[in-house]
This record gives sequence, C-alpha cells and structure tokens, in this order.
Amino acid sequence: MSTPASGEFPAGDARSGAHPGEAQPGGAQPMAGSPPVAGPGPSHAELAAMSREELVTLGGEMDGVRVVYAEPPVPPGSRLERRAVRQVAASFLGVTLSVVAFVVLFVAWPWQLDYSGQGEGFDYAALYTPLLGLTLGSALTFLGVGVVLWAKKLMTYEVVVQDRHEGASPQIERQTTAATMLSGLNDTGIGRHTLVRRTLLLASAALGLLAVVPLVGGLIKKPGDQLFRTPWEPGMRLLGLDGVPVRPLDMRPGSLQTVFPPVEAGNRSADAVTMLIRLLPDQAQRYRPREGQEGYRWNDFVAFSKICTHAGCPVSLYEQETGLILCPCHQSQFDVTDGAKSIFGPATRSLPQLPLDVDNDGYFVATSDFTEPIGPAFWERSS
Amino acid sequence: MSSGLALLLALIAVGGLYSATAPESTAQDTGLSVEAMAGQEIYENGCITCHGRNLQGVEDQGPSLIGVGEAAVYFQVGTGRMPLAQNEAQAQRKTPAYDDAEVNQLMAYIQANGGGPTLPDEEDLREGELAEGGELFRLNCASCHNFAGRGGALSGGKNAPALTESTDLDIYTAMLSGPQNMPVFGDNQLTPEQKRSIINYVQTLKETADPGGAGIGRAGPVPEGLVIWVVGITVCLVVCVWVGSRA
Repeated sequence: MSTPASGEFPAGDARSGAHPGEAQPGGAQPMAGSPPVAGPGPSHAELAAMSREELVTLGGEMDGVRVVYAEPPVPPGSRLERRAVRQVAASFLGVTLSVVAFVVLFVAWPWQLDYSGQGEGFDYAALYTPLLGLTLGSALTFLGVGVVLWAKKLMTYEVVVQDRHEGASPQIERQTTAATMLSGLNDTGIGRHTLVRRTLLLASAALGLLAVVPLVGGLIKKPGDQLFRTPWEPGMRLLGLDGVPVRPLDMRPGSLQTVFPPVEAGNRSADAVTMLIRLLPDQAQRYRPREGQEGYRWNDFVAFSKICTHAGCPVSLYEQETGLILCPCHQSQFDVTDGAKSIFGPATRSLPQLPLDVDNDGYFVATSDFTEPIGPAFWERSS
Repeated sequence: MSSGLALLLALIAVGGLYSATAPESTAQDTGLSVEAMAGQEIYENGCITCHGRNLQGVEDQGPSLIGVGEAAVYFQVGTGRMPLAQNEAQAQRKTPAYDDAEVNQLMAYIQANGGGPTLPDEEDLREGELAEGGELFRLNCASCHNFAGRGGALSGGKNAPALTESTDLDIYTAMLSGPQNMPVFGDNQLTPEQKRSIINYVQTLKETADPGGAGIGRAGPVPEGLVIWVVGITVCLVVCVWVGSRA
C-alpha cells in the first residue's frame, strides 16, 4: 500500500484536515480513492522536458498504476517478428481480396434462376447467394484473424498493477458523494414543486397501466358466443375450394373433400372448414354414429370439422382404407366409422359432426350448424 | 329315414344337372381381347394368390380388383408396388416386376372386368395453372405429402411417400385410383385440368433450384432449426473451447 492514510481513515476525523491531499500546498488534488502523488508535482519546465515514457510512468503513478512486466512477444527486428508481420499483412490483404471478390461476384455472377425446368446442366445461378455470403464472411473472418494475430504476436505483453483500497470507501468520500448527488436532486426542484412531482407520478402510473391493459383486458372482455358457432347455417350448400357446390356423384367411395360454407371469404374462414368424406361400402355398413347424431350422415357420406379438438390443427391426413383421420401436429387419431371418436393421441373429444342432407337440386346442404363448439377446449364449453 | 334318402337323391340330381348345364369357364367365351387374355395369364401367375380367382379379392390378403380400372394397375404395377415383396404395412416403390408391355396387358385384363378409371388420353399432363395447382396441392395433398412433396408418416408404420421419383402419370393415376390409404380424387372432385395443375406444381417444385444455399431436404422449419441448433451451436462451442484453450 502506497497510501497509508486511505482505508484506515477514522470516521469523524473528516473535518480535522488530516487528509494528506489537503496538506499539500499547490499539489494536484488527487481523485477520490486514488493514492496521491508524494511530494510536490513537477513544474511546467520539468513536464516539458519529460519524454513520452516518463510521462506515461508519471501518469500511472498518479493513479497508483505500475507496470510489473512488459515485453514484446517477439524480439524486435527478429525473423519471428518479420514472420508475424507477414501473417498480419496477409490477413489484411485477404480482407481486401475477399471484398474485391464480393464486388466482382455481385456484378458478374449469373443470378437469374432458371425456373422453367428446361435448362440443362448445373444452374450456376444457384450459387449466387452462397458465394456472396462466402466472400463477405471470409472478409470479416480475415479482418478478425488479422487483428487477433496483431494483438497476440506483435503488441507488447504487459502486466499492470493498480493499488486499490480495501473494503468500503473512507467516510469522508462517502458522505461528500452522497451530498453531491442529493444536491443534484435538490437542484431539479422536485421537492419544492409538488405539482410537478405528483403529475410525474401520475404519468408513470398511466404508462404502467398501458402495459397492463392489453394483457388483463383480454381476460375481462367476453368473446360472446363466437366460440360456440361457425358460419354454417341450415340449408347452406357445401362448396369446394373453387366455390362449386358438391353433389353426391362428385365423390367416389374412399374420397375426402374439404368443403366451405357459401359466405363471403368462406374458403378462408378458419372455423367453418369441414371434411366431407364418402365412406367405403364396408365402412358405411359398420358406421356407428354418436349418440343423438344418428341422422347426421347422408347415406355413405359424413362430414366432420377439420379442426382438431386438441390444439386446433387441420386434421386432414385421411387414411381411406382404415378410416382414420390423423392430426399432423400431435398424432391424434380419429376413427371416422365410430363418429370420428378420438382413439389415440392427446385429443379427447370427437371431431364435431356437421348434419348433412341433399336439397331438391341434388346438392349437399347442412341441416344446421355444428351442434357443439369446434376445436380445442375452453373454460365455458360444456362438452 | 326315407325323407333323408330323398333329400340326398335330390341333392345329387341338382348337382349333376348344374355341372352339365353350367357354362364352361374357358378363355374363348369370356369375350376378352388378345391383350387382355395375355394379361389374364400374367394375373393367374402373379396376382391370383391375393386377389382371388375372379378378381373378387381374398379376405385379409388382397382387395377386390373389380372396378379399380387400368389407372390403378398402372400405378400399382408400373411403380413396382405390386406384386408385394412381403406382407407389410404398405407396398413400397421398387423396380417393376413386369415390363411395359406386360403392364399394358394386365391393364387390359383388369379394365375388361368391371371397368373403372382409365389413363388420360393426352400426353402433356402439366398443362395447368401453376398457382391454382399450388393452392389445390396445399389443400388436398400437403397434409400427408408435405408442402414440398417430401412425404410424411401415417399411422401404424404406413407413410405417405415422397413425390421425388413420381412421374406425371404416376401422380395422375394415384389421384384417380387412390392407392392404399390415399383418398380417391375422382374427375368430378378434381377435374382433369385441376389434376394437371397439381402435377405442374409438384414437378415444378422438384425441378426448381434452391436459391440461397442448402435446402436440407426442404423438410421444413423444424429440421432446419434442428440443424442450426445441433451443427451451429456445436461449432460455436468448439470455437469457444478453442479460444479459451489458447488464452
């Protein structure tokens, strides 16, 4: 410890003038917590006469810093140093070359992909983006490698020690620092101007409310019955993706068609999407409807919601021979011949069934909406 | 006792009468073309065990082939799925056991027994709207075959195969006939034009180059994320360890 006073400064002695810094007439005021320079500082003439190394040493001493060990990693002028210089220079040249290559490739390389499928041989345009990335990446890598080599192989290796006091800062410094900060707070006038203080508090509370409203608001606002119904209404025809109503003759046994209600943007509606399935003859024979849903099928046609009752994924992996509908998200399986009952996976409820009929013109119609909420569970649903 | 004897006599009489008057089941009076008769010969050597003497199918072995049409034969035999190598969850694509001429003969034989979907007439099966094909593919096919046609798993060891090796006619006949667990897409459900659009989309997808580096099988964002995690993080860790060991 070069400063016997600091760290052991007794509390209560702060005003006694015993601090060594104050005892030096004309000496530089030391920074808080740093050891002071012993004796009077050098004069202007002395400073002007000092070399750069001496100035560095003096500056270090003022902050209690001293160099314990300093040595270049390679002897100056040696073969090793020349080699290191060449390596660093080569890396920086690599940066330049990579950037040049990047610019050349950017300008000259073919970039228009052949989407026609008629082209023969390898399409070099497919390499355009990877080559740009490669040259840009190698430029940055070369830069990094060069800087690291420079620092490790050419820059002087130093071990520097700075003395610090132990434990808390001296009482005098703690109290003066606290006073300075409180004085800054006092200067803002927030203690005197009550109106400013209170409106600021109010504004902060309002901003906090801003963060809470969207989170809590969604829980307060009731969604009404929109989770319980879909756009399907009695008498609505079942449309294909292209808006053409579906007839029984359109589908062969063992086929599935995704159908939508005839409402605006019906084939984009998320909750009305329905699978119309024509069972194979033997499946139709052993078909078991759910209780109370006996009349929902039309001959060997059945229609179920396409939204999984577990997490709402579209369940359209239909195995026509086994009559299983698979959900791609979590591997739930529904048995079509058993009223789309869930037989495997995390889904627990059957897929809701759309009651079917055929109107006088021979097109499929729904006789009502789904009779239970489609899709995943929510608090208010009873089934 | 006498009534029993009478019954026996009556049975013998009926049986004898039947065998005397029943039509002989020879090839001559089935009205088959020469090609179909050749197909029947192949059928009776290679297919009859599982599909039965009169195409009616054998319980737990093979389905009935009455009414499946030549499209089904083309797909199943032409891609080597039939005849089966072994009884397994699903017929696999393999080197066809019969050459084109034999496949044509089989097709003629099956078509002559109950009819069914036929092969399309025109040659070009890609005459369709690319964008419409994409939309139809994503609605009807992508759930099983993956949005890029790379296939996917089904239940019980079955799978929806990747479409990477499928020819235009393979895809067309598969949609027409609904092989194995694939649903049927008849011509009233997906018109021939819509089928061509889908084929155009699938084949264009396969032939398009991957812009921007390795596609990793286009298996989707989850495998891509996995690669980033496993490979990328490993590389980062190795670099960290290396940097640490050099310090």
